[in-house]
Amino acid sequence: MRPRPDVASVVAGACVVALGVVLLLDAAGTLDLRFKVFGPAVLAAMGAILLASGLTRPR
Amino acid sequence: MNETTETQELPPEPEARRLVRVRDGRMVGGVCAGLGRYFNLDPIIFRIGAIVLVLVGGAGLLAYLAALLLIPSEDSEGEPAAGRNRWLVIAGVIVLLCISWPFLLGGGLLLAGLLIPFAFLVAAGVLVWWFVSGEGPAGDAGDIAKRAALGIGVLIVCGLIAIGGAWAAAAGGETVVAIAVIAAGVAILVGAFVKPVRWLVLPAVTLALSAGTVSAAGIDLDGGVGERDYRPTSVVDLRDTYQLGMGQLVVDLRQTDLPPGDVPMTVDLGVGDARVIVPDDVCVATDAHVRVGEVRTFGLGNEGVDVDLEDLPDAAPSVTRLLVKADIGVGSLKIGRSQFDVDFDRSHFDFGPVDTELGENTACET
Repeated sequence: MRPRPDVASVVAGACVVALGVVLLLDAAGTLDLRFKVFGPAVLAAMGAILLASGLTRPR
Repeated sequence: MNETTETQELPPEPEARRLVRVRDGRMVGGVCAGLGRYFNLDPIIFRIGAIVLVLVGGAGLLAYLAALLLIPSEDSEGEPAAGRNRWLVIAGVIVLLCISWPFLLGGGLLLAGLLIPFAFLVAAGVLVWWFVSGEGPAGDAGDIAKRAALGIGVLIVCGLIAIGGAWAAAAGGETVVAIAVIAAGVAILVGAFVKPVRWLVLPAVTLALSAGTVSAAGIDLDGGVGERDYRPTSVVDLRDTYQLGMGQLVVDLRQTDLPPGDVPMTVDLGVGDARVIVPDDVCVATDAHVRVGEVRTFGLGNEGVDVDLEDLPDAAPSVTRLLVKADIGVGSLKIGRSQFDVDFDRSHFDFGPVDTELGENTACET
Protein backbone atom coordinates (compact mmCIF):
# COMPACT_ATOMS: atom_id res chain seq x y z
CA MET A 1 0.00 0.00 0.00
CA ARG A 2 1.35 3.41 -0.92
CA PRO A 3 2.07 5.67 2.02
CA ARG A 4 -0.21 8.62 2.52
CA PRO A 5 1.21 11.97 1.42
CA ASP A 6 2.29 14.47 4.01
CA VAL A 7 -0.66 16.86 4.04
CA ALA A 8 1.32 19.72 5.56
CA SER A 9 3.90 19.50 2.78
CA VAL A 10 1.15 19.41 0.15
CA VAL A 11 -0.42 22.58 1.55
CA ALA A 12 2.95 24.29 2.00
CA GLY A 13 4.12 23.34 -1.47
CA ALA A 14 0.91 24.60 -3.06
CA CYS A 15 1.16 27.90 -1.17
CA VAL A 16 4.82 28.40 -2.12
CA VAL A 17 4.07 27.64 -5.78
CA ALA A 18 1.17 30.12 -5.68
CA LEU A 19 3.43 32.82 -4.24
CA GLY A 20 6.02 32.09 -6.91
CA VAL A 21 3.41 32.36 -9.66
CA VAL A 22 2.29 35.74 -8.29
CA LEU A 23 5.92 36.93 -8.38
CA LEU A 24 6.34 35.61 -11.90
CA LEU A 25 3.20 37.38 -13.12
CA ASP A 26 4.44 40.59 -11.54
CA ALA A 27 7.83 40.22 -13.19
CA ALA A 28 6.13 39.61 -16.53
CA GLY A 29 4.04 42.74 -16.13
CA THR A 30 0.75 40.86 -16.12
CA LEU A 31 0.11 41.75 -12.50
CA ASP A 32 0.91 44.96 -10.63
CA LEU A 33 1.82 43.67 -7.21
CA ARG A 34 0.75 45.97 -4.39
CA PHE A 35 0.89 45.68 -0.63
CA LYS A 36 -2.89 45.65 -0.43
CA VAL A 37 -2.86 42.34 -2.29
CA PHE A 38 0.50 40.87 -1.39
CA GLY A 39 0.16 41.39 2.39
CA PRO A 40 -3.07 39.43 2.83
CA ALA A 41 -1.88 36.80 0.34
CA VAL A 42 1.29 36.12 2.32
CA LEU A 43 -0.58 36.06 5.61
CA ALA A 44 -3.13 33.64 4.20
CA ALA A 45 -0.38 31.38 2.85
CA MET A 46 1.52 31.38 6.14
CA GLY A 47 -1.67 30.76 8.07
CA ALA A 48 -2.55 27.79 5.89
CA ILE A 49 0.96 26.35 6.25
CA LEU A 50 0.96 26.77 10.03
CA LEU A 51 -2.52 25.33 10.31
CA ALA A 52 -1.63 22.30 8.22
CA SER A 53 1.63 21.81 10.13
CA GLY A 54 -0.14 22.06 13.45
CA LEU A 55 -2.81 19.58 12.52
CA THR A 56 -0.43 16.96 11.19
CA ARG A 57 2.73 15.36 12.46
CA PRO A 58 5.79 14.82 10.25
CA ARG A 59 6.28 11.27 9.09
CA MET B 1 49.36 -25.48 30.90
CA ASN B 2 46.79 -24.14 33.13
CA GLU B 3 45.65 -20.69 32.54
CA THR B 4 43.76 -18.78 35.08
CA THR B 5 41.40 -16.19 33.92
CA GLU B 6 40.85 -13.31 36.17
CA THR B 7 37.59 -11.56 35.85
CA GLN B 8 37.93 -7.93 36.70
CA GLU B 9 34.77 -6.21 37.72
CA LEU B 10 34.26 -2.92 35.97
CA PRO B 11 32.95 -0.05 38.03
CA PRO B 12 29.33 0.72 37.33
CA GLU B 13 28.75 3.44 34.76
CA PRO B 14 27.69 6.70 36.33
CA GLU B 15 24.12 7.61 35.70
CA ALA B 16 23.56 10.28 33.11
CA ARG B 17 22.77 13.51 34.85
CA ARG B 18 19.47 15.08 33.95
CA LEU B 19 18.26 18.51 34.85
CA VAL B 20 15.04 18.12 36.78
CA ARG B 21 13.21 20.05 39.46
CA VAL B 22 13.94 17.92 42.48
CA ARG B 23 11.34 16.93 45.05
CA ASP B 24 13.61 16.74 48.10
CA GLY B 25 15.00 20.00 49.37
CA ARG B 26 12.94 22.26 47.19
CA MET B 27 12.05 25.68 48.55
CA VAL B 28 9.58 26.77 45.89
CA GLY B 29 9.56 24.83 42.66
CA GLY B 30 12.77 22.87 42.99
CA VAL B 31 14.59 24.82 40.28
CA CYS B 32 17.55 26.00 42.33
CA ALA B 33 17.84 22.66 44.11
CA GLY B 34 17.77 20.91 40.74
CA LEU B 35 20.45 23.21 39.36
CA GLY B 36 22.57 22.59 42.42
CA ARG B 37 22.33 18.84 42.01
CA TYR B 38 22.97 19.03 38.26
CA PHE B 39 26.10 21.16 38.62
CA ASN B 40 27.10 19.54 41.93
CA LEU B 41 27.03 22.88 43.72
CA ASP B 42 25.28 24.17 46.79
CA PRO B 43 21.76 25.25 45.80
CA ILE B 44 22.15 28.33 47.97
CA ILE B 45 24.41 29.79 45.25
CA PHE B 46 21.60 29.60 42.70
CA ARG B 47 19.05 30.89 45.22
CA ILE B 48 21.15 33.96 45.96
CA GLY B 49 21.67 34.52 42.22
CA ALA B 50 17.95 34.24 41.59
CA ILE B 51 17.10 36.72 44.33
CA VAL B 52 19.70 39.18 43.04
CA LEU B 53 18.31 38.90 39.53
CA VAL B 54 14.78 39.42 40.82
CA LEU B 55 15.86 42.61 42.55
CA VAL B 56 17.94 43.83 39.60
CA GLY B 57 15.32 44.44 36.96
CA GLY B 58 13.26 41.37 37.71
CA ALA B 59 15.02 39.12 35.23
CA GLY B 60 15.38 36.41 37.86
CA LEU B 61 11.62 36.10 38.17
CA LEU B 62 11.31 35.64 34.43
CA ALA B 63 14.11 33.07 34.39
CA TYR B 64 12.65 31.18 37.35
CA LEU B 65 9.16 31.02 35.88
CA ALA B 66 10.59 29.97 32.52
CA ALA B 67 12.54 27.22 34.27
CA LEU B 68 9.37 26.12 36.02
CA LEU B 69 7.73 25.71 32.63
CA LEU B 70 10.62 24.15 30.74
CA ILE B 71 12.41 21.94 33.29
CA PRO B 72 10.48 18.78 34.13
CA SER B 73 9.84 17.88 37.72
CA GLU B 74 11.07 14.50 38.97
CA ASP B 75 8.56 11.89 39.97
CA SER B 76 8.52 9.83 43.13
CA GLU B 77 11.19 7.50 41.70
CA GLY B 78 13.60 10.29 40.85
CA GLU B 79 12.92 10.16 37.11
CA PRO B 80 11.67 13.10 35.01
CA ALA B 81 7.90 13.17 35.07
CA ALA B 82 5.95 12.48 31.89
CA GLY B 83 5.97 15.29 29.32
CA ARG B 84 3.41 18.03 29.53
CA ASN B 85 1.12 19.25 26.84
CA ARG B 86 3.34 21.34 24.55
CA TRP B 87 0.54 23.79 23.76
CA LEU B 88 0.09 24.46 27.46
CA VAL B 89 3.82 25.12 27.73
CA ILE B 90 3.73 27.52 24.75
CA ALA B 91 0.70 29.31 26.15
CA GLY B 92 2.43 29.56 29.51
CA VAL B 93 5.59 31.04 27.98
CA ILE B 94 3.55 33.60 26.01
CA VAL B 95 1.54 34.61 29.06
CA LEU B 96 4.74 34.80 31.05
CA LEU B 97 6.37 37.10 28.51
CA CYS B 98 3.29 39.33 28.37
CA ILE B 99 3.14 39.63 32.14
CA SER B 100 6.83 40.14 32.68
CA TRP B 101 7.39 42.59 29.82
CA PRO B 102 6.27 45.79 31.60
CA PHE B 103 7.76 44.51 34.84
CA LEU B 104 11.14 44.05 33.22
CA LEU B 105 10.90 47.39 31.47
CA GLY B 106 10.17 48.97 34.85
CA GLY B 107 13.52 47.76 36.07
CA GLY B 108 15.19 49.73 33.33
CA LEU B 109 18.59 48.25 33.96
CA LEU B 110 21.12 47.01 31.48
CA LEU B 111 20.90 43.43 32.63
CA ALA B 112 17.20 43.19 31.87
CA GLY B 113 17.75 45.02 28.61
CA LEU B 114 20.24 42.38 27.57
CA LEU B 115 18.29 39.40 28.80
CA ILE B 116 14.99 40.28 27.14
CA PRO B 117 16.31 40.23 23.57
CA PHE B 118 18.35 37.15 24.37
CA ALA B 119 15.30 35.38 25.80
CA PHE B 120 13.27 36.29 22.75
CA LEU B 121 16.07 35.09 20.47
CA VAL B 122 16.29 31.75 22.26
CA ALA B 123 12.50 31.38 22.23
CA ALA B 124 12.40 32.23 18.54
CA GLY B 125 15.15 29.69 17.87
CA VAL B 126 13.28 26.94 19.74
CA LEU B 127 10.02 27.72 17.94
CA VAL B 128 11.70 27.85 14.53
CA TRP B 129 13.42 24.54 15.09
CA TRP B 130 10.13 23.09 16.35
CA PHE B 131 8.46 24.17 13.12
CA VAL B 132 11.28 22.99 10.89
CA SER B 133 12.03 19.62 12.49
CA GLY B 134 9.03 18.85 14.66
CA GLU B 135 11.26 18.54 17.73
CA GLY B 136 9.55 20.49 20.48
CA PRO B 137 11.06 22.06 23.60
CA ALA B 138 11.23 18.80 25.51
CA GLY B 139 14.17 17.08 27.14
CA ASP B 140 16.88 18.51 29.30
CA ALA B 141 18.44 21.95 29.17
CA GLY B 142 21.20 20.77 26.84
CA ASP B 143 18.69 19.51 24.28
CA ILE B 144 16.74 22.76 24.43
CA ALA B 145 19.90 24.83 24.06
CA LYS B 146 20.97 22.72 21.08
CA ARG B 147 17.59 23.17 19.40
CA ALA B 148 17.61 26.88 20.13
CA ALA B 149 21.05 27.17 18.52
CA LEU B 150 19.90 25.22 15.48
CA GLY B 151 16.78 27.37 15.22
CA ILE B 152 18.84 30.56 15.45
CA GLY B 153 21.07 29.14 12.72
CA VAL B 154 18.00 28.61 10.54
CA LEU B 155 16.93 32.19 11.27
CA ILE B 156 20.35 33.50 10.20
CA VAL B 157 20.21 31.48 6.99
CA CYS B 158 16.71 32.80 6.30
CA GLY B 159 17.96 36.34 6.95
CA LEU B 160 20.71 35.88 4.39
CA ILE B 161 18.19 34.43 1.94
CA ALA B 162 15.90 37.43 2.53
CA ILE B 163 18.72 39.89 1.87
CA GLY B 164 19.83 38.02 -1.24
CA GLY B 165 16.29 37.69 -2.57
CA ALA B 166 15.51 41.34 -1.96
CA TRP B 167 18.72 42.45 -3.62
CA ALA B 168 18.17 40.15 -6.60
CA ALA B 169 14.60 41.38 -7.06
CA ALA B 170 15.66 45.03 -6.76
CA ALA B 171 18.46 44.51 -9.27
CA GLY B 172 16.06 43.20 -11.91
CA GLY B 173 16.23 39.49 -11.18
CA GLU B 174 12.66 39.07 -10.01
CA THR B 175 11.98 36.48 -12.70
CA VAL B 176 14.86 34.31 -11.49
CA VAL B 177 13.69 34.62 -7.90
CA ALA B 178 10.11 33.73 -8.88
CA ILE B 179 11.31 30.62 -10.74
CA ALA B 180 13.42 29.63 -7.72
CA VAL B 181 10.37 29.97 -5.45
CA ILE B 182 8.23 27.89 -7.79
CA ALA B 183 10.97 25.23 -7.99
CA ALA B 184 11.14 25.09 -4.21
CA GLY B 185 7.36 24.75 -4.03
CA VAL B 186 7.38 21.92 -6.54
CA ALA B 187 10.14 20.18 -4.57
CA ILE B 188 8.04 20.46 -1.41
CA LEU B 189 5.01 19.08 -3.25
CA VAL B 190 6.94 16.15 -4.68
CA GLY B 191 8.54 15.55 -1.31
CA ALA B 192 5.09 15.21 0.25
CA PHE B 193 4.62 11.99 -1.73
CA VAL B 194 8.19 10.68 -1.47
CA LYS B 195 10.02 12.11 1.51
CA PRO B 196 8.80 15.30 3.18
CA VAL B 197 11.20 18.24 3.06
CA ARG B 198 9.53 20.57 5.50
CA TRP B 199 12.81 22.30 6.21
CA LEU B 200 12.54 23.84 2.73
CA VAL B 201 9.27 25.64 3.52
CA LEU B 202 10.74 28.41 5.66
CA PRO B 203 13.55 29.41 3.24
CA ALA B 204 11.11 29.30 0.30
CA VAL B 205 8.53 31.50 2.05
CA THR B 206 11.30 33.85 3.18
CA LEU B 207 12.56 34.20 -0.39
CA ALA B 208 9.04 34.84 -1.71
CA LEU B 209 8.32 37.32 1.06
CA SER B 210 11.48 39.37 0.51
CA ALA B 211 11.17 39.46 -3.27
CA GLY B 212 7.45 40.20 -3.08
CA THR B 213 8.01 43.04 -0.63
CA VAL B 214 10.60 44.59 -2.92
CA SER B 215 8.26 44.24 -5.90
CA ALA B 216 5.26 45.62 -4.03
CA ALA B 217 7.41 48.54 -2.88
CA GLY B 218 8.45 49.19 -6.45
CA ILE B 219 12.12 49.20 -5.53
CA ASP B 220 14.29 49.10 -8.63
CA LEU B 221 18.00 49.83 -8.45
CA ASP B 222 18.38 50.20 -12.21
CA GLY B 223 18.57 53.99 -11.93
CA GLY B 224 21.59 53.87 -9.65
CA VAL B 225 22.27 54.94 -6.10
CA GLY B 226 23.16 58.39 -4.75
CA GLU B 227 22.12 62.00 -5.20
CA ARG B 228 20.85 63.39 -8.48
CA ASP B 229 20.35 67.11 -8.97
CA TYR B 230 18.92 68.15 -12.34
CA ARG B 231 18.59 71.82 -13.33
CA PRO B 232 17.77 71.91 -17.04
CA THR B 233 17.96 75.34 -18.67
CA SER B 234 15.94 74.61 -21.79
CA VAL B 235 13.28 72.21 -22.89
CA VAL B 236 15.94 70.36 -24.90
CA ASP B 237 17.70 69.46 -21.67
CA LEU B 238 14.46 68.34 -20.11
CA ARG B 239 14.27 64.57 -19.90
CA ASP B 240 11.15 62.49 -20.35
CA THR B 241 12.04 60.37 -17.32
CA TYR B 242 14.07 61.09 -14.23
CA GLN B 243 15.00 57.80 -12.64
CA LEU B 244 16.91 56.87 -9.51
CA GLY B 245 17.16 53.55 -7.69
CA MET B 246 17.99 54.80 -4.22
CA GLY B 247 18.81 58.24 -2.87
CA GLN B 248 17.74 61.86 -3.34
CA LEU B 249 16.41 63.13 -6.62
CA VAL B 250 15.93 66.87 -7.25
CA VAL B 251 14.50 68.27 -10.49
CA ASP B 252 14.67 72.06 -10.45
CA LEU B 253 12.80 73.63 -13.38
CA ARG B 254 12.94 77.25 -12.27
CA GLN B 255 15.56 78.11 -14.88
CA THR B 256 13.96 76.01 -17.60
CA ASP B 257 12.40 77.79 -20.54
CA LEU B 258 9.24 75.71 -20.79
CA PRO B 259 6.93 76.09 -23.79
CA PRO B 260 3.18 76.68 -23.50
CA GLY B 261 0.97 73.61 -23.45
CA ASP B 262 1.42 70.20 -21.89
CA VAL B 263 4.94 69.10 -20.95
CA PRO B 264 5.06 65.49 -19.72
CA MET B 265 7.63 64.35 -17.20
CA THR B 266 8.06 61.05 -15.35
CA VAL B 267 9.72 60.60 -11.97
CA ASP B 268 10.70 57.03 -11.09
CA LEU B 269 12.34 56.55 -7.69
CA GLY B 270 12.93 53.27 -5.84
CA VAL B 271 13.87 54.35 -2.33
CA GLY B 272 14.42 57.90 -1.13
CA ASP B 273 13.11 61.40 -1.57
CA ALA B 274 12.16 63.18 -4.78
CA ARG B 275 11.67 66.93 -5.17
CA VAL B 276 10.28 68.75 -8.18
CA ILE B 277 10.61 72.53 -8.07
CA VAL B 278 8.58 74.47 -10.65
CA PRO B 279 8.40 78.15 -11.65
CA ASP B 280 5.54 80.34 -10.49
CA ASP B 281 3.91 80.56 -13.95
CA VAL B 282 3.65 76.80 -14.51
CA CYS B 283 0.53 74.76 -13.79
CA VAL B 284 1.28 71.31 -12.41
CA ALA B 285 -0.87 68.24 -12.98
CA THR B 286 0.16 65.31 -10.81
CA ASP B 287 -0.50 61.60 -11.13
CA ALA B 288 1.58 59.98 -8.41
CA HIS B 289 1.74 56.61 -6.76
CA VAL B 290 3.82 56.04 -3.64
CA ARG B 291 4.06 52.43 -2.45
CA VAL B 292 5.15 53.33 1.08
CA GLY B 293 5.63 56.92 2.17
CA GLU B 294 4.11 60.28 1.36
CA VAL B 295 3.30 62.56 -1.53
CA ARG B 296 2.79 66.30 -1.15
CA THR B 297 2.01 68.76 -3.87
CA PHE B 298 0.86 72.30 -3.14
CA GLY B 299 -2.30 72.07 -1.04
CA LEU B 300 -2.61 68.32 -1.35
CA GLY B 301 -0.91 65.55 0.56
CA ASN B 302 -1.28 61.94 1.52
CA GLU B 303 0.81 59.31 3.21
CA GLY B 304 0.74 55.64 4.10
CA VAL B 305 0.86 52.41 2.10
CA ASP B 306 -0.12 52.34 -1.59
CA VAL B 307 -0.76 56.07 -1.69
CA ASP B 308 -2.28 57.50 -4.87
CA LEU B 309 -2.58 61.19 -5.61
CA GLU B 310 -4.24 62.42 -8.77
CA ASP B 311 -4.58 66.15 -9.30
CA LEU B 312 -5.18 67.04 -12.94
CA PRO B 313 -6.25 70.68 -13.22
CA ASP B 314 -6.72 72.39 -16.58
CA ALA B 315 -4.65 75.31 -17.81
CA ALA B 316 -5.07 78.01 -20.43
CA PRO B 317 -3.42 77.25 -23.83
CA SER B 318 -0.89 80.00 -23.26
CA VAL B 319 0.20 78.49 -19.94
CA THR B 320 2.66 75.65 -19.46
CA ARG B 321 1.08 72.62 -17.83
CA LEU B 322 3.64 70.19 -16.42
CA LEU B 323 2.25 66.67 -16.38
CA VAL B 324 4.14 64.88 -13.60
CA LYS B 325 3.70 61.13 -13.52
CA ALA B 326 5.52 59.69 -10.53
CA ASP B 327 6.14 56.21 -9.19
CA ILE B 328 7.89 56.20 -5.81
CA GLY B 329 8.74 52.95 -4.05
CA VAL B 330 9.60 53.79 -0.45
CA GLY B 331 10.01 57.45 0.38
CA SER B 332 8.45 60.76 -0.51
CA LEU B 333 7.58 62.99 -3.41
CA LYS B 334 7.22 66.75 -2.97
CA ILE B 335 6.26 69.16 -5.70
CA GLY B 336 6.35 72.87 -4.99
CA ARG B 337 7.50 76.32 -6.01
CA SER B 338 10.62 78.30 -5.34
CA GLN B 339 9.82 79.23 -1.78
CA PHE B 340 9.96 75.65 -0.60
CA ASP B 341 13.38 75.31 -2.17
CA VAL B 342 14.59 78.08 0.12
CA ASP B 343 13.65 75.93 3.06
CA PHE B 344 15.10 72.83 1.48
CA ASP B 345 17.75 71.20 3.59
CA ARG B 346 19.29 67.95 2.46
CA SER B 347 19.63 66.72 6.01
CA HIS B 348 16.11 67.61 7.11
CA PHE B 349 12.99 66.78 5.21
CA ASP B 350 10.45 68.43 7.47
CA PHE B 351 8.65 70.92 5.31
CA GLY B 352 5.97 71.88 7.78
CA PRO B 353 2.36 72.49 6.76
CA VAL B 354 1.63 71.66 3.12
CA ASP B 355 -0.16 74.82 2.08
CA THR B 356 2.38 77.28 3.46
CA GLU B 357 5.63 75.63 2.37
CA LEU B 358 4.96 74.25 -1.08
CA GLY B 359 3.15 77.27 -2.50
CA GLU B 360 -0.05 77.19 -4.52
CA ASN B 361 -0.93 75.87 -7.93
CA THR B 362 -2.16 79.29 -9.05
CA ALA B 363 -1.22 79.08 -12.72
CA CYS B 364 -3.98 76.57 -13.37
CA GLU B 365 -7.53 77.50 -14.35
CA THR B 366 -9.93 77.44 -11.48
